[in-house]
Amino acid sequence: MNHLRVLAARVRELFGGARLERDLSDELQTHLDYLTDEHVRRGLSRDEARRAAYRDLGGLEQTREMVRDRRGLPFLETLGRDIRFGTRLLAKTPGFTAAAVCTLALGIGANAAIFSVVDAVLFQSLPYPDPHQLVSIWEVSQKGGDRIAVAPANYVDYVRRADAFSSLGAYARAGVNLTGDGTPERVPIEEVTASYFATLGVMPMIGGPFQPEDNQEAGSRRVILTHALWQRRFGGEASVLDRTILLDGRPYRVAGVMPPEFRAASDAGAIEPVGALVPVFFEPSVLANRQEHLIEVIGRVRPGVPVDAARANLAAVSDGLAREFPDAATVRASLAPLGAEQVKSVRELLVLLLAAVGLVLLIACANVASLVVARSMSRQREMAVRFALGATRRRVMSELITQSLLLSAAGAGVGLALAYWTKHVLVSLAPASFPYIQRASLDLRVLGFAAVLTVVTGLLFGLFPAWQISRTRPVEALRTSDRSSVGTWAMRNRTALMAIEVALSTLLLVGAGLMLRSFMAVNAVPLGFDPTSVLATNVVLPPQRYATPQAKLDFYEALATRVATIPGVRGVTYSNRLPLRGNWTSGFAFENAAPEPGAAYVPTGVQPSAGFQAVSPDYFAVFKIPLLRGRLLASADRTGAPGVAVVNAAFVRAFFKEANPLGQRLRRGQKMPSIEIVGVVADIRRGGRTSEIEPQLYLPAAQIELYPLSLSDLAIRVDGDGRSYGDAVRAAIWAIDPNQPVTNVRTLEEVLALRLAERRFQTFLFALFAVLALALAVVGVYSVVDYSVRQRTAEIGLRIALGADSPGILRWLIGQSFWTVSAGALAGLAGAYWLSRFVRSLLFGIEPTDAVTYLGAAVVLAAAALLASYLAARRAIRVDPVAALR
Amino acid sequence: MGDRTDVLQGTLALMILKTLETMGPQHGYGIARRIEQVSGDALRMNQGTLYPALVKLEQQGWIKTKWGVSDQNRRARFYSLTPRGARQLASEAERWGRVSAIVGRFLEPQP
Repeated sequence: MNHLRVLAARVRELFGGARLERDLSDELQTHLDYLTDEHVRRGLSRDEARRAAYRDLGGLEQTREMVRDRRGLPFLETLGRDIRFGTRLLAKTPGFTAAAVCTLALGIGANAAIFSVVDAVLFQSLPYPDPHQLVSIWEVSQKGGDRIAVAPANYVDYVRRADAFSSLGAYARAGVNLTGDGTPERVPIEEVTASYFATLGVMPMIGGPFQPEDNQEAGSRRVILTHALWQRRFGGEASVLDRTILLDGRPYRVAGVMPPEFRAASDAGAIEPVGALVPVFFEPSVLANRQEHLIEVIGRVRPGVPVDAARANLAAVSDGLAREFPDAATVRASLAPLGAEQVKSVRELLVLLLAAVGLVLLIACANVASLVVARSMSRQREMAVRFALGATRRRVMSELITQSLLLSAAGAGVGLALAYWTKHVLVSLAPASFPYIQRASLDLRVLGFAAVLTVVTGLLFGLFPAWQISRTRPVEALRTSDRSSVGTWAMRNRTALMAIEVALSTLLLVGAGLMLRSFMAVNAVPLGFDPTSVLATNVVLPPQRYATPQAKLDFYEALATRVATIPGVRGVTYSNRLPLRGNWTSGFAFENAAPEPGAAYVPTGVQPSAGFQAVSPDYFAVFKIPLLRGRLLASADRTGAPGVAVVNAAFVRAFFKEANPLGQRLRRGQKMPSIEIVGVVADIRRGGRTSEIEPQLYLPAAQIELYPLSLSDLAIRVDGDGRSYGDAVRAAIWAIDPNQPVTNVRTLEEVLALRLAERRFQTFLFALFAVLALALAVVGVYSVVDYSVRQRTAEIGLRIALGADSPGILRWLIGQSFWTVSAGALAGLAGAYWLSRFVRSLLFGIEPTDAVTYLGAAVVLAAAALLASYLAARRAIRVDPVAALR
Repeated sequence: MGDRTDVLQGTLALMILKTLETMGPQHGYGIARRIEQVSGDALRMNQGTLYPALVKLEQQGWIKTKWGVSDQNRRARFYSLTPRGARQLASEAERWGRVSAIVGRFLEPQP
């Protein structure tokens, strides 16, 4: 109670400053007058009495100081004074201040920018209510292997039996053609269960969710639009409810519109967001077969149930199903928190980026600490005088640290401006599939992070020099007019800091080098086909309008004829799966089960499987895939003619070794038509440069009875830039069918670039940080050598006077920094050798201990450091010995 | 010197309050004089230490100040006891009496 009163009184006194001081002066004056009178009465002279009065009081200034300390909030006032003093001091040395602030701004800005991304992607919760209750559920083969989708038959039993969940929902991502009212377009959709909404905890803002009966029949034609599609396509009008729209040519009644903040479960990591939701329907045949793995499942764990308990519950249910149903025995279900699952693919990259950018900040700190050390040397005598006058060590240290914090705060201010801009660049550079990166913003959390960073940074680079200087012994410092001992102290510390900077930069250089070498390794992988000047597009024909494979074939044949007439088009091909657009793998059996020795080799016990792809005859010409043996597919290979196929070299290696595959026959199933191998073509990397080469069959697109997968892709080889042909291709398609959407109109080079987007992003960022680190290290080395030259002007003058030539002086100075740089670089290489294991998953084609990278990093660093030393040392040879020694 | 000030700080407040109670409103010099006289000039203090103590008492609301003119026609700042200060003095004096009695008994020659 009384403490509060005192505090209030002290706070009031904060505002009484000048008046309180005046009152105190007057009061003490009166007191001195009384004392003087008293001494005069005792017989002292006026002057002696005055002196005695001062003595009795115990010093006027001391008394004032004691009262001041008692008044107001001395801590605040001291701080204010230190800040004002520090600001004036920093303003007096604009060069030092600018260098320190810029360095810190780079460090803090880069950290704030990366943190805003990390926070958005890894730390912020899912955009659903009670996100910690949400889990992702998958099935995994008992034989070991990748996660697979969940079988609807199992899902139904999970819903019935797993009681750890308040709700389970299922969805499957798909695409539909949206037609009518404007340009036809391909829209990603999710087929969902009615429980999807309750599980995610989201409801339509207009209309209502699906009902269980929507999932009960094949013909429930209801659709819920996302906010974005509703705005874009339907002008955001509420009257859209109950309207009928055409999806794949079938009428669907609009049952609702999702709110703008809704994100579909499959949107994280997807390039294009879902535009609409439709009810999923499980065919009775699907529900009868537990090996049809078709759907993704999400669950909401009951409140209070830990995720581990839910996992155990699900595992128990899964084990029970395996015992009851033989066809469920091969898989088990498992789960993990949905939030972590959605960002799993980028977590490692982000953590590494945060570490890298943290290193940049450490280097910046070392740089600034080095500057501060140099500066504190010049204040040595000032400190000595202050200590002699009775300043306490604590007082001096807190003043020095206040100055450091001022610097780091200024750095943070500039850095945040930098971060604002950097964040935009980051988000725009990030691959479209980077989950949640669009959420990144400089919000309060990022500001808080920057504030913490500011304090930590200020202490990191300020504490050590402040502690060192506060140990100044006044007597010695004042006695020795010569500064050399202090200079040695500063030089030793700066040299150590330089070694640290070099070591940290080496780490980052090695990291960036590994990324860069991986990137180059990926780009050096031969594709096997020529992606230049090829434009590809998806033309997915809706089953309603093109019910039969023949109808689809007719469309594509007509389209190919039409597109071939576009000036500049060299070749046209169509397919059910073009390279870089997925594959379809099927099992098959060779017809001659007991082949001649060496032929049709199949590892025992394994059903052979290969990629199957239906292509038009010009496919090999358009992609420039060379023929190795036999013949290519011809336009005569149509329905009615014998089934034929061309295989790739990998197919021959896998199944025939050295034997001749031509003339061998195979079938995809017992009742399927027989296919004869008529040719062998070279291998290509269908999935892009990082993909494996797999056995592959090419079937004639015109033999529609050989393949079940619809034709859907068109590719043309053109003169010049493929992108300029997009409009002509669209026009050709719409001339045949104005309701047909055309999607993914991209050159193969663009597709390849998209494939590499994530790798390019990570390589770019690591390279950026490495360059930043290198620049900071070079500046550090330069300033240390420069400092040493200034310190040793006399010594250098002496050497020159004694006959040392310029190259000798340069060698001597550079040699000194060379050992420091070497030691730092070696430490950095050793650290990199140990740490590089953590980046292994981000590399391609090289080991984390890649010698070329380490050597390259060392060479780049040494060259840069020597150059910096040379530039700084050059000043030394201009020293005039006479002036220096005088 | 530090030690002596500390000892004083503890008791100085009590002495100031008692002085003001006995003598009525006083300026700083008067209080200092009075404390020295009462102690029989045994207590020679740095009179400056009086002022931080006065500031503290004022912050605690036990004394209040007012500018006035002294007997020698000097402009001086007069300190006087507030009712709260009077209560504080009473309880402090009583506590001090108890403590000094206890300490005194300890220091008496034991039978």
